[in-house]
Amino acid sequence: MKTEGTVVECRGLSRTYNDEGVPVKALDAVDFSVTRGDFVSLAGPSGSGKSTLLNLIGGLDHPTSGSVFVDGVELNDLSTTQLSDLRLNKIGFVFQSYNLIPVLSARENVEFIMQLQGVGTSERRQRSLDILTSLGIGDLGERRPGELSGGQQQRVAVARAIVTRPALLLADEPSANLDSKTTSELLDLLRLINREHGVTIVTATHDALVMSYAARQVHLKDGRIESDERTAAAAA
Amino acid sequence: MTMPMKLLVQLGWRNLWRQRRRNIMLLAAIFVAVAAVVLTNALIRGVQYDMRDSAVRNLTGNMKLYAPGYRDDPSILQGFELAEGWQPAVAPADLLGWTQRVSVPAVIMSERETRGVTLVGVSPQDERTQSFLGTVAIDGEGLRDADDGRILLGSELLAQLSTQVGRRVVVITQGADGLNREAGFKVVGSYDAEGTGLEKAFAFTGRAALQKLLDTQAVTEVSIRLNDGANETAVDAAVSHDVGALELLDWRALEPLAAAMYEYSNVAILVLFLIVMIALSFGLVNTLITAVMERVREFGMLRAIGMRPGQIVVQVLVESTLIMLLGLGGGIAAGIGLTVLFADGIDLSNFAQGVEMVGLGSRLTPRLMWDDVVLVVELSIFLGLIGSGYPAWRAVRVKVLDALRRGT
Repeated sequence: MKTEGTVVECRGLSRTYNDEGVPVKALDAVDFSVTRGDFVSLAGPSGSGKSTLLNLIGGLDHPTSGSVFVDGVELNDLSTTQLSDLRLNKIGFVFQSYNLIPVLSARENVEFIMQLQGVGTSERRQRSLDILTSLGIGDLGERRPGELSGGQQQRVAVARAIVTRPALLLADEPSANLDSKTTSELLDLLRLINREHGVTIVTATHDALVMSYAARQVHLKDGRIESDERTAAAAA
Repeated sequence: MTMPMKLLVQLGWRNLWRQRRRNIMLLAAIFVAVAAVVLTNALIRGVQYDMRDSAVRNLTGNMKLYAPGYRDDPSILQGFELAEGWQPAVAPADLLGWTQRVSVPAVIMSERETRGVTLVGVSPQDERTQSFLGTVAIDGEGLRDADDGRILLGSELLAQLSTQVGRRVVVITQGADGLNREAGFKVVGSYDAEGTGLEKAFAFTGRAALQKLLDTQAVTEVSIRLNDGANETAVDAAVSHDVGALELLDWRALEPLAAAMYEYSNVAILVLFLIVMIALSFGLVNTLITAVMERVREFGMLRAIGMRPGQIVVQVLVESTLIMLLGLGGGIAAGIGLTVLFADGIDLSNFAQGVEMVGLGSRLTPRLMWDDVVLVVELSIFLGLIGSGYPAWRAVRVKVLDALRRGT
């Protein structure tokens, strides 16, 4: 099913984990949707279910019940390989610990997904240089992750996530390893990407600063959505 | 979507150098194992071909023609005559040479001793390419030609008869009419065949001279030598088509022990290789599992951003193949180098009696065969892929989320 303007649609989404024989409900019959171009933060204390929801939207985990649609595609129906292809072509990920490929340079990390997609060499090269330059790290393209600061690595991770123009950018605790200055720079960057490139962003975070940049804040508690409201940032 | 092989090879190559010390150790193990296998294969081939050459050169040839029944009753009564101008049906490129012989049992007597021998009438010119007589060390003189009525004895036989070169011996054998013939022969020389077996068993004289003694124009055998690389099976078929009722036997039938050892060597090479490489595969699997388990989180990340499980498997296989190819390349080069180093052969003269028993000469020369090298390459890559299949499977067995949650 594909609702016009809806990138993510979750219906009755539940996820129960087995913790040494004790079932733990991480997500409990959640209905949730994200419209195209939105900037959503999933917030809540540890164990509230925000990361679980993000992982289910990203096809990294399977729901115990309920369904997830991303850009009109129901994830439950997809094989492992089809899920890989969906993530490759429709979803960009930004992880807490950057997760760059250590043996590749910043530019090669950005090109990596395009190589998997089969994009030609010259186009790959141009797009990666353009995106690195637009994120302010064009001169660091040939450095490997180990030669970059945390903030620079996270910028490379963002570049890698958006260079293929995905329908959805998922960011799990993107500021967890960054200081406040670098976090502000990253959030400015995400807002720029959201507003100028129209990339839909969903982020899971504890960080009030991150939440303040989102146009919509969804609070979870005990696996349920406690509140869902638009913020001042939406009007800014 | 096609497999992005260039990307996977690039990643694989760079990943090799992440754990430099461990991979260098693994490379060294592959290098040493492959070099040892190449050299050992060459030595086994050396033994194998030495045994075959010894069998072939000890009057057997690659194949022989006999009259039916000669092998049960090896006398001149089982002789045969070839048609005028007969030539074996062998392409010139395959034929090293051929000869006719008269080979009969005889009793040889000196003034002091008597021995039973096989008296062989030969054409010395033909034997140059045909048997050990062409190259054997001779004390005294060799036979001049097929009409030479003197006798050439082995050094051991000479000693057993307690006689000397230049003295006379008496030979008694059966003529073509079934009656005994007795004749005196001057000992023209003694040959040293690097072993006592041949020296005691065979005495040689000119073929025409022996035919005259036996009162016959018949011969008892035709021996055919082929060049290396000739297709024995095809030649065998062509010759046997052309020889009527005569019996054609190849060296395998005439020297079954040597033939069995020859075949055993083929199996030994494979078994030895498999033992070494399977042992090495365990090391490869162990190293790769460690490498894979250290990178579970990275593989999880790669899958999270869209790399297919199959591509992860191929990446691990590419990495192991690269290690294998590097080790193989170096190992084969070193193995060939060692083979070249021992090209002059390894002296076994201290074990002369022992090696003669298994049909070997006193010098073992390694023989490098490209088919063996290709086999080493093919089987190594095959075993490498099999050995890395399990670690590759382990790499994608972990769920993406579980992988991402693991520490680096």
